[in-house]
Amino acid sequence: MNTQTIIKPLLASSIVAAFTISSPALAEGVSAGTLIENTASATYEDGEGTKTVDSNTVQVRVDELLDVTVTSLDSGAVGASPGEAVLTFEVTNQGNGPEAFVLTANPVVTGNDFETVVESIAVDTNGNGTYDPGVDEILTAPETTAELAADEAITVFVIVTVPDGVADTEESNVELTAEAVTGTGAPGTSFDGQGVNGGDAIVGATGADDTATGSLIAGITTVDLDKAVSLVDPFGGDSAVPGTVATFTITAVVSGSGSVDALVVTDIIPDGTTYADGTLALDGDALTDAAGDDAGEASDADGITVDLGTVAGGAIHQITFDVTID
Amino acid sequence: MKNITKMVAALLAFAAVPAAGSAVAQSQSPITLSGDVKAVETSVDAAGNTVTRLVEPDVIVPGDRLVFTTDYANNGAEAVDNFVVTNAVPDAVRLAGDADPALTVSVDGGETWGALSSLTVAGEDGTMRAAAHADVTHVRWTLESVAPGDNGRVEYPAIIR
Repeated sequence: MNTQTIIKPLLASSIVAAFTISSPALAEGVSAGTLIENTASATYEDGEGTKTVDSNTVQVRVDELLDVTVTSLDSGAVGASPGEAVLTFEVTNQGNGPEAFVLTANPVVTGNDFETVVESIAVDTNGNGTYDPGVDEILTAPETTAELAADEAITVFVIVTVPDGVADTEESNVELTAEAVTGTGAPGTSFDGQGVNGGDAIVGATGADDTATGSLIAGITTVDLDKAVSLVDPFGGDSAVPGTVATFTITAVVSGSGSVDALVVTDIIPDGTTYADGTLALDGDALTDAAGDDAGEASDADGITVDLGTVAGGAIHQITFDVTID
Repeated sequence: MKNITKMVAALLAFAAVPAAGSAVAQSQSPITLSGDVKAVETSVDAAGNTVTRLVEPDVIVPGDRLVFTTDYANNGAEAVDNFVVTNAVPDAVRLAGDADPALTVSVDGGETWGALSSLTVAGEDGTMRAAAHADVTHVRWTLESVAPGDNGRVEYPAIIR
């Protein structure tokens, strides 16, 4: 009841500011459990001078808002091949009080070309944004985050296994859902007494849960090598006689949406022929015969080796070299 | 209701009533102030009209709207003059953007007063900028005189930060 009125027969005094001006840094909302207190005061003049009177103080406690967002931190579909793949998410406590969240990863999403198997959900313990096996904590079922402070965000990894037999460019989505431990529901749903300091906890606009989707795209990449030869004999013809120069062309065709790493093309010098020094070339550009100074090396004894490194799908490289028929 | 603690200020008026109480009683304030706070609940009725109601602030969270009210009354036999009601705006709320533009406010803890549009505050880079609703620290109302038996209500709307 608030009908009682308090009279303070104080002598004239200046009004005291009941609150300091500088507020604490209030990020997204005032913290749950905060008491809002309000007192009015009045001054007036009667026949005896200036008088001051205060009102009663009303208090309201701010309740705990339950809100969470989940977003995918992957810039696009993550390239994957059969085996382990990692999807990265961010879970943010958008509420105004400390709250933990239950995480659920769902690999069965409508429209998936293939389905992965969720192996584990891990928290980016060392905060480097990359999944580090053995370092980043793997959550045990039921996968629940630590209590996140208001506005705190954590990075979460969902580790999945891509099955064998997926075809190139097939896609698969994995959903990560976070739900407030206190509870979820329609915005406005109240959990009496379950908020900070015994206050209520109220479901906010997010419903106290959120889901984000991470995408995988199968990058299955193949390499095809094709070798051709052309002959120029000493007489200007194309017969294979001693002294004829044979030019070999090896064409490496990389197909698929992914890429291949450490692609090295080697060939031997055929019996009965001799490598023509200084003729090794990659895509028309000469390479030295020596090892270590560029991508290629060549010798009569060891043949040719060209290190193409990482090659993306769709690339074509041509390696040429000459031999002379003995 | 457990959530609301409406406290009566601890300092009571009658702490020092001497034996000759009548003299003190005569010096008691003829003015009474009674503060209250209500939450503003907005809903849509069957006809699609938006309905706002003032309700007890059972459950309040950031973004909710409150109305702070102060009822005043002159219970004395004499008029009082230069009647000024001052209300500090709690840190946890900001003055609502649709508050009366003519409301007299302070953005410096009650040092200087004026309509919000006339006030400035120091920005983070040290330069002065126009004051915003969130900068308001106090609101106040001034009445030239309150006649015996008169009463009224002043109020301001606020949003929980």
